[in-house]
Amino acid sequence: MTTLPFTRRRRRRRSELYKGLAFASPFLIGFTVFVAYPILASARYSFTDFNLFQAPHGVGFDNYRAMLTDDRFLKSLANTLYLTVIGVPLSIIIGLGGAHILNLPVRGRPLFRALVYLPTIVPVVVGGYLWRWLLNAQYGFVDRVLELLHVPTPLWLEDPNWTKPAIIMMSLWTVGGTMIIYLAALQEVPVELHEAAEIDGAGIWARFRYITWPTLTPVTLFQIIVTIIAFLQIFTQPYLLTQTRLNSSSGGPDDSMLSYTMYLFQNAFVFLKMGYASAMAWILFLITLAITALLLLSSKKWVHYGSR
Amino acid sequence: MKMQAFSRSRSVAVLAGAAVLSLALASCSGSTNTASSGGKTTISFSYLWGGPEGAAAEKIISEFNSSQSKIVVKGVSNPDMQKQLASMSSSSGSFDVSDNFGNNVGTWASKGVLAPLDDLLKTAGADTSDFVPSAMNQMKYKGKIYALPIAVHTMQLVYNKKLLQAAGVTPPKTTDELATAIAKLTKVDASGNITQLGLGNPDQSTSLTTLGYAFGGTWDGSSTTAPTPTPAEPGNVAALKFWQDNITNKYGPAKVTKFTAGWGQYMSPQDPFYTGKVAMVIEGEWQAVSIPKNAPKLQWGVAPIPVANSSLDGTTQLTASTLFIPANSQHKAEAATFLKYMTDKQAMLEFTKALGNLPARTSLLADPTYAAIPHMSAWLESLKSPNVKSLASAPYSAQYSTDLASAFDSVSRGTAAPQQAMDKVANQAKSYPMK
Repeated sequence: MTTLPFTRRRRRRRSELYKGLAFASPFLIGFTVFVAYPILASARYSFTDFNLFQAPHGVGFDNYRAMLTDDRFLKSLANTLYLTVIGVPLSIIIGLGGAHILNLPVRGRPLFRALVYLPTIVPVVVGGYLWRWLLNAQYGFVDRVLELLHVPTPLWLEDPNWTKPAIIMMSLWTVGGTMIIYLAALQEVPVELHEAAEIDGAGIWARFRYITWPTLTPVTLFQIIVTIIAFLQIFTQPYLLTQTRLNSSSGGPDDSMLSYTMYLFQNAFVFLKMGYASAMAWILFLITLAITALLLLSSKKWVHYGSR
Repeated sequence: MKMQAFSRSRSVAVLAGAAVLSLALASCSGSTNTASSGGKTTISFSYLWGGPEGAAAEKIISEFNSSQSKIVVKGVSNPDMQKQLASMSSSSGSFDVSDNFGNNVGTWASKGVLAPLDDLLKTAGADTSDFVPSAMNQMKYKGKIYALPIAVHTMQLVYNKKLLQAAGVTPPKTTDELATAIAKLTKVDASGNITQLGLGNPDQSTSLTTLGYAFGGTWDGSSTTAPTPTPAEPGNVAALKFWQDNITNKYGPAKVTKFTAGWGQYMSPQDPFYTGKVAMVIEGEWQAVSIPKNAPKLQWGVAPIPVANSSLDGTTQLTASTLFIPANSQHKAEAATFLKYMTDKQAMLEFTKALGNLPARTSLLADPTYAAIPHMSAWLESLKSPNVKSLASAPYSAQYSTDLASAFDSVSRGTAAPQQAMDKVANQAKSYPMK
């Protein structure tokens, strides 16, 4: 095989590049038009007064400044942080604990695994309406059970102090997804290490702490980041729980279920304040970025990768 | 060499195929709702009504279509206001005519959502002088018409005759009498759980805004030409305090909330008023048609809204149902022709009769059709009162009504004091768009 002359080789390499780009073009065009452009456009709109219908005009940092004095904005941010701070650790702990239980060698293990995962495949809208009934103050099944147990029966969807626990409960219903990922990760934990440790007299906790947990840390980091993002962007559950006739905008009792993205949506599509909504989207993006960056920085201290 | 040529031509073919496919996909997502076919222009009428109301609209649409050789109207029921608004923001609209409520006209017109109608109506030969003046006020923004009223509504006190008789109560005329009546008509079981409530529906904002008027308050100041939000007026606060004193705090916020959570859907056979769980409600004339349909056995009556003092006698709140053309409609002239047809005497009569609504034309108010509907005359009469009030249709109205609804909710749940809740709205109102 003789080597091709230099120019021909270069031409061929360039034509390969064009072909590659052409084949990737459905994605590239789609990404540019539907992702990259909207992101850049929203950055521009966040500095304008824009109502979707008339041409935007620049207002500098007014939208960002307005957030500081907008009590519904602050409320929605506080609600979302509440949900995140409580919801994420619970998801991780229940996910991890559940995975251990599902990993026990018992009869009918596949059935239990399937049952735990089942709510995850129920469409979230169906789940939302289901929970509206389960949590109903007058006829709700949840309160009926609590009543039988002689436990106080909260007004889940009516009392501002209980609406957020209700949303978290509804979100945890689909924790099966997290559980399955942990379950898969548990299969990676080296059995021989466990056996060796057991022989050396290590108890259950010591083996979890020094063998299982280090193996699970990469998965945990991933889970934490994904769950935090999901909670920061929580929309469907509170939106469905607060939905009213003709779907007019609402935030639940005392705006206690008004999540950040719900208020963003209301600003954009009910009050037609697209500029303000865009600014809100960027603030949420920056918050997410900061939290993720902190997590990744901290991960050097607690995440162990097998190869190292 | 031959191999290379073959593979090149094949890759070109694959690429061409991919391009065609993506074009086909793109054209699928394009809207083809409005189109011309066979010399007729098809326009789309998207309405918020559903069920029997939607059926009444469809009947008028088909009558219009058979009266016409140039325009075909296609009706679509879409009872989601947020979706309605969102679909008007695209460059080519998904519908040409739609309906909403009078107090949204200003917000939408100020933002360019609605097409100005003056010229279109002139071309279509429509006359607007016959429309109820207070309703017509809501249709205008900066002197231009942006919507037409298809129906108007007023509020009255609707009561359950049997429950009032059993409690020995006559329909209250003053707010003091209303307080006494609520006390007599509310029943609580041994464990403090409410089994019957004297006055209902705080979740309908109109209940509380109407009560505000009945206490001498106004929600948008006194000027109709330059409205401003005035949530903290003494009359409004007094109305909310009335609600809290006589219902929420009297029977316990948790008990009231628990009772209301079990209520069936509004205007369905399970509506709490229809099933006797609530003795009185502040409601509109549509009940005159809805009650016989959904609760045929209910014995009920209508009385004027109880007021705080005699100068407020006959206080009621007027709202309007509107038809409008979105600014992004591609067939505005045809849409205007249909708009004129819908709001002409004949179609309006047919439609409002089916829905049990008051007509938006002064010349129709005396039509025997309405008086023939049992109880309807009470609402018809209320239109003649000098104390007919209505919410402004201003640029800020959409946000104002969301904030008011949220504040009313806090007050009726007892989580905020009336003055505190209204001061909060007044504070929020500082950032409202005013023009």
